[in-house]
Amino acid sequence: MNLNIRPVFSALLRNRTGAILVAMQIAIALAVLVNAVYIVKQRVDRIGRPTGMDVENIFAISSSGFAQGYDHRATLRDDLAYLRSVPGVVDAVATTSVPLSGGGNGSFLSPRPGGMHSGFTAQQGDGNYFEIDEHGLQTLGVRLIAGRNFRPDEIAPAPLSLAHTEFAPSVIITQAYARYLFPDGNPLGRTVYDYLSRPARIIGIIDHMHGAWPTVDHPDRVYFLPRMAYGPRATYLVRTEPGELNRVMAQVEQHMGTSNSDRVINWVRTLSSFKADTYMSDRNMGTFLVTVTSLLLAIASLGIFGLATFNVNTRTKQIGTRRAVGARRRDIVAYFMVENWLITTAGIVVGCAMALGVGYWLSHQYAMPRLDLYFLVGGVLGLWGLGLLAAWQPARRAATISPAVATRTV
Amino acid sequence: MLDMQHISKVYRSDLVETHALRDFSLTVHAGEFVAVTGPSGSGKTTFLNVAGLLETFHTGRYLLDGSDVSKLSDDERSRLRNEKIGFIFQGFNLIPDLDIYDNVDVPLRYRRMNRAERHERITSALELVGLASRMHHMPSQLSGGQQQRAAIARALAGDPKFLLADEPTGNLDSLMARQVLDLLEQINEMGTTIIMVTHDLELARRAHRNVHIVDGQISDFRAYEPLPEAVAAAGTIGR
Repeated sequence: MNLNIRPVFSALLRNRTGAILVAMQIAIALAVLVNAVYIVKQRVDRIGRPTGMDVENIFAISSSGFAQGYDHRATLRDDLAYLRSVPGVVDAVATTSVPLSGGGNGSFLSPRPGGMHSGFTAQQGDGNYFEIDEHGLQTLGVRLIAGRNFRPDEIAPAPLSLAHTEFAPSVIITQAYARYLFPDGNPLGRTVYDYLSRPARIIGIIDHMHGAWPTVDHPDRVYFLPRMAYGPRATYLVRTEPGELNRVMAQVEQHMGTSNSDRVINWVRTLSSFKADTYMSDRNMGTFLVTVTSLLLAIASLGIFGLATFNVNTRTKQIGTRRAVGARRRDIVAYFMVENWLITTAGIVVGCAMALGVGYWLSHQYAMPRLDLYFLVGGVLGLWGLGLLAAWQPARRAATISPAVATRTV
Repeated sequence: MLDMQHISKVYRSDLVETHALRDFSLTVHAGEFVAVTGPSGSGKTTFLNVAGLLETFHTGRYLLDGSDVSKLSDDERSRLRNEKIGFIFQGFNLIPDLDIYDNVDVPLRYRRMNRAERHERITSALELVGLASRMHHMPSQLSGGQQQRAAIARALAGDPKFLLADEPTGNLDSLMARQVLDLLEQINEMGTTIIMVTHDLELARRAHRNVHIVDGQISDFRAYEPLPEAVAAAGTIGR
């Protein structure tokens, strides 16, 4: 193959309008592609992060007492006894909110007394708490890595009103939260304080768990209080054996819908569905970016294809002449591929600068991580390949032009 | 030597079959200047295309400089065109996006010559046709006659044995046509075999002989000038 870049480049310079437009398309496509893929990758990574829980095998059921004689404590007792007795259930717990649901309870902890004036700075999402009993950790599927679980005798009964809510004597917290509160030492056995400076001792540490708000900066700063949740609303989490979720859900919903006429079942949902809803904006953003990027790539490919086709169609005589004076078919293919490569490369060079600029702007405006250069390298290689692919068919067609075209006068 | 024996060339479409060359035989010796004439549609250009390996033929035998070209691959035909044949077209066929220097360079690049040798050949060819001072002009900046001279330089730069000219003065006024023909005669005197298709009988008379084609067959031979000694010694003219 005869790759003569200089004459191809000279000819390009004399017909540069179309080439510049296509190069700009490629530049914009590269800038958008690289940053969009990078953003999508971050979203996908975020969705795919481990939650610390057995998400696939947990469902939640919510009920509300409405009758005058509704007994919340008795309802919790009876429901939990039933739930734990259902074949296929690993464990069940009543709690204040559903993890990963986007709605929960928050009250930050401090390593020092003084509440808001303790000098300790809480960050977004710090102190997401769940009220559970001794079955809570097993129900969630979280792993205790230090200390112990709550004992049954530590569990406070459901308060009769919110005004009677006390802080707990002991808490179990996530490793991430423990490290944040006590970066310099072993947090087990240490005392933490709530916003009213009420103390509690850390009796157990779990390795990892995402709380109710998985999209905040620190979704894993979670702690548990040994207390039954306040009524008349009751939220239960039920963990089943693998493969038993749907069956147990149906069975539980049917039973609890009729077992207590003083309350109604609000909903029964899997933890997976809560997670899907919470990450819906991430997924939608990913889908949108992939769609827009695909369209841009398609437009850029069509631009390359269109320009190459136009060049072939308008240079039929020239191609015939080149063939007449000795060009082989592969020389003609090479000519158009080199021409396209030059255009694509020009677009890629500009596109790299634009991609870095957009990446820098995004990282500053939206506090995103700086663009990973591997994505830029991938984008460059991808667009080079796409450019060559788009020009291949017109180049092949050019090579089929007969050298006899050179002697035609029309 | 160019030796065609019993060549036929047929163009087929869904409805029509056109016999462009029928049992066509012609021998052109080294150093000859042959004019090919004939009415429109007689097969002149088809003959030139077949002779110049721009098109294949269906039956017959064709020896170009001793090589049987009927079985050559497309690549081999390209190589032969590049090394042994120079083309001059009625419409000049210069590449409009390249300057004259780069136009003359085109066939040399396909021969993969090194830069220094290409430069020497390009400048020599352009000096021969009187365009050395215009080598960096674009084709559009030259007159028709100058463009045709540039095309001749392109044809000559590869030092071909055969120069095939298709109506080389067809797009030129009479003065420029005369200049171009003078140049072709000069090139022929330097030893290059020239076959020129033309419908202009006045021009044809300046060749050593004229081959007249009608309906894809040779209908007449005329010799206008004494043939070069080498040709006369070979004792073969025409079919």
